[in-house]
Amino acid sequence: MTKKKKPNVFKKIGKGFKNFYDRFVRGSIYTKISYLIMGFGNLARGQIWKGMIFLVCQVGFVLLMVLCPEINSTPFGYKAFANLITLGDNPGDINTAADNSMLMLLFGVLMIGITFLYLALYVSNTKSSYHNDMLLKEGKKVSNFKEDLHDLTDSKFHLTMMIPAMVGILIFTLLPTIFMILIAFTNYDSLHTGQNLVDWVGFSNFAQIFNGSASEIGTMFFPVLGWTFVWAFIATFSNYFLGIFLGILINKRGIKAKVLWRTIFILTIALPQFITLLAVRKILGNLGPVNTLLVKLGILASPVEFLDQAANEFTARGMVLLINLWIGIPYTMLQTSGILMNIPKDLYEAATVDGATRRQTFWKITFPYILFVTTPYLISSFVGNITSFNIIYLLTGGGPTNPGFKAGETDLLVTWLYKLTIDENEYNMGAVISIMTFIITASITLIFYSRSKAFKQEDAFQ
Amino acid sequence: MKKIAQLLSLALVLMLAFSLTACGKKSLTIWVGTESQEFYQQMVDDYVENYNATHDENFPSEIVVKGVDSGAAAAQFLDDTEAGPDIFTIPHDNLGKLTAGSSSIAAITNQALIAQMEADNPQTFLDVSKSTVDGTTYYFAVPYVSQSLVLYYNSSVLTAEDVQTWEGISAKAIAYSSTVGHEVKAATILGTDGYNNSFLLLSEYYNSSNELTTSVQLYENGVASACYATGDDTIAAMKWGRRYFQLTSGGIDQAGSSGWEEELKDEYSLCLIGGAWNYNAALAALGSNLGIAVLPEFTITNADAYGTIAAGTVYQSGTFTDCKCFVMKKGSDYQAYLEDILIYLSSVSVQEQSFETCANLPAYKNAADEFAAMSADTLAAKLASCEIEMFNYGIAQPFGYVQKYNTWFYSKGAPDLIYAMLKNTDNAYPDDASILSCLQTCETIWKTGAQN
Repeated sequence: MTKKKKPNVFKKIGKGFKNFYDRFVRGSIYTKISYLIMGFGNLARGQIWKGMIFLVCQVGFVLLMVLCPEINSTPFGYKAFANLITLGDNPGDINTAADNSMLMLLFGVLMIGITFLYLALYVSNTKSSYHNDMLLKEGKKVSNFKEDLHDLTDSKFHLTMMIPAMVGILIFTLLPTIFMILIAFTNYDSLHTGQNLVDWVGFSNFAQIFNGSASEIGTMFFPVLGWTFVWAFIATFSNYFLGIFLGILINKRGIKAKVLWRTIFILTIALPQFITLLAVRKILGNLGPVNTLLVKLGILASPVEFLDQAANEFTARGMVLLINLWIGIPYTMLQTSGILMNIPKDLYEAATVDGATRRQTFWKITFPYILFVTTPYLISSFVGNITSFNIIYLLTGGGPTNPGFKAGETDLLVTWLYKLTIDENEYNMGAVISIMTFIITASITLIFYSRSKAFKQEDAFQ
Repeated sequence: MKKIAQLLSLALVLMLAFSLTACGKKSLTIWVGTESQEFYQQMVDDYVENYNATHDENFPSEIVVKGVDSGAAAAQFLDDTEAGPDIFTIPHDNLGKLTAGSSSIAAITNQALIAQMEADNPQTFLDVSKSTVDGTTYYFAVPYVSQSLVLYYNSSVLTAEDVQTWEGISAKAIAYSSTVGHEVKAATILGTDGYNNSFLLLSEYYNSSNELTTSVQLYENGVASACYATGDDTIAAMKWGRRYFQLTSGGIDQAGSSGWEEELKDEYSLCLIGGAWNYNAALAALGSNLGIAVLPEFTITNADAYGTIAAGTVYQSGTFTDCKCFVMKKGSDYQAYLEDILIYLSSVSVQEQSFETCANLPAYKNAADEFAAMSADTLAAKLASCEIEMFNYGIAQPFGYVQKYNTWFYSKGAPDLIYAMLKNTDNAYPDDASILSCLQTCETIWKTGAQN
């Protein structure tokens, strides 16, 4: 089998520039003019609507760039590019507002996005005109607006469907992500909210991670990261293996009322998680039923704290891991049940004929099959546990507290990040932790998934 | 084709509707605490009615009063100042972050409002209503509600005499433990933050002239470095506190994970150190057994004596006092009208109605003498009188003259360190030297925002 050669990105970009140049050289005079006046190539060929759309976009973009309209005293246009560099220089006074650095950052990013969109439209305009040239050269007729619209519901229907989604991703995912990444390179913290100018600080926020005891992030990053990994590892694998065990147990021949058992476990999924967790928190409270029972049975002399006020971090961490089993096992159990029902019976029959024991059948057929199918789930579950917010925040709030620091003993990166941003307004540090969390989760996903059998042998069990 | 045309028309109509909404002039908006929203809406409706009756032109906008968590209002406002309300309420110690830089809120310039504030408010509230921007000091906030810590207690177990001293409460709690068969705390504190540990940190002792005094300084005269909490009297008070925080029966501690309401209701604790905002929950927990008193005194023993503070020295528990203030957005479209509205909303008559309707303790300095409702034989009136008496033993919590530094919100864990010291967590604070060291660290945090 020959390996498919992956296209080189730089070559593709180079080819794009070459095509852009070739279209200008080989195109008609109309195409050449459309390099200056967008839509000219279409207007000249009677494509009035299409040409007007291109032209209006160009005029709109030029007006936006030149007139620099303002929202809340912060300009768009070319000034937004300049402001993106300075993030404002007017500190304001008692009567007038300072420059809004965050709005300047946002508008700067928006303008970059708008400019890229405009450039894409500009290239599309040259392509469209050149396409018309080619059609006329071949003696064909250029399409009219009605036909273009019809194409959008027919041969180019994928575009009609994709464009709203792409716009949504651009506005609601890409733009906030870029904005957040850029904040990590600023000093936007509790001292720089309101009427305070924000500045670029380069990589100094990232450097704080390795700066030891000089800051909270320097002191706490690696301990919190360490616990995050321990949590993710134990939470993922304990749920996984116990879920499989439960799934196999319920699906075992001879077990009665299988549906009832499944329903009981699925109830924990059906109930909103935060209600379940708050109920558990209440149950484990110092005056809750668990403590009362243990005291009455004489197991405890007096009530003990299990969660945020636990005497040590090991009790609190152990408890959140234990409670997480209740939340997580039913998911694996459900998946395993589905998988077990779909394992081809002939595999087991063949194994029986070959004289395989039950244990051999499990380790050679059942488990590999489950593992193969659930590897992507296992990876996403691990990543999900790294960013698991509800369980920790609702059960312990990150506590027991760590005197002198916002990060408590059970805080994960994501709950710590929440406290830093929402409680402390340390937006820049929150952004740094977000980026680090993304790098960790993305690396784990890429490395483990690309090495898994589920990825390498996609068709193996079909 | 027809469907596409319909979809396009719909999109166009929606865009038009959004544009019209965005272009519409905003109403004048006021944020107040959720509990007072209805009351203040009624007040501003009266104000507008009166304005329209006495002016040639009607008031230029409707006024919308929105109920918010007043503790979070400042942070919410700073997230997007442009979209924020024209007037909003804050606890006074949020003022520092609002006036940082060139200030996000407007300075008060109306002389009538300033005159009213200076005539009606105690000096301590006036002091924390000011801030300095570009080298000039302005009033930025208008106090209208005040609060302090008081003692809520279970009157079926404790008498009014018992609650005069912590020792009396503790002895009753220890005795009651054997009656009910489980450990009973003398008192519960609401949390480990600076506000809740202020009953110890700000406690004052009777000197040889029988006057209450303390060496504690927190941002004295607005100077960030003027913080001092390592005097002999403070260390002796902390040593006393440490003994009580480590007692299982008859001690003082924060609420367990089941919450202070459960502890009071099930008699695992006999008292709560809390504020007016805990009144309803305390009433729900104890019902007719709810008693309210000023925070008790305590006496230094040989085990607590330190330096110049001898055994037998009597302390009065202290408190941070707190006032809620109205502030104005800088650059509001209705700037010209805001100060006049504030003159009305912070007036004595509105404060009196606010007390009667919402049980808000007025910031007005003569309220106890002049407001009839305060001398009524009700728990709400008792709460008010206790809070007012506690003002004698407290200071208004300083908001930190450097925006970041504050004994409460921005303290980078100083209250946690004090709590760890009181609990002697991991036996990390075994002796006087370690207590002194802990308090020195807290001083550094208050002054610089960092532990070292």
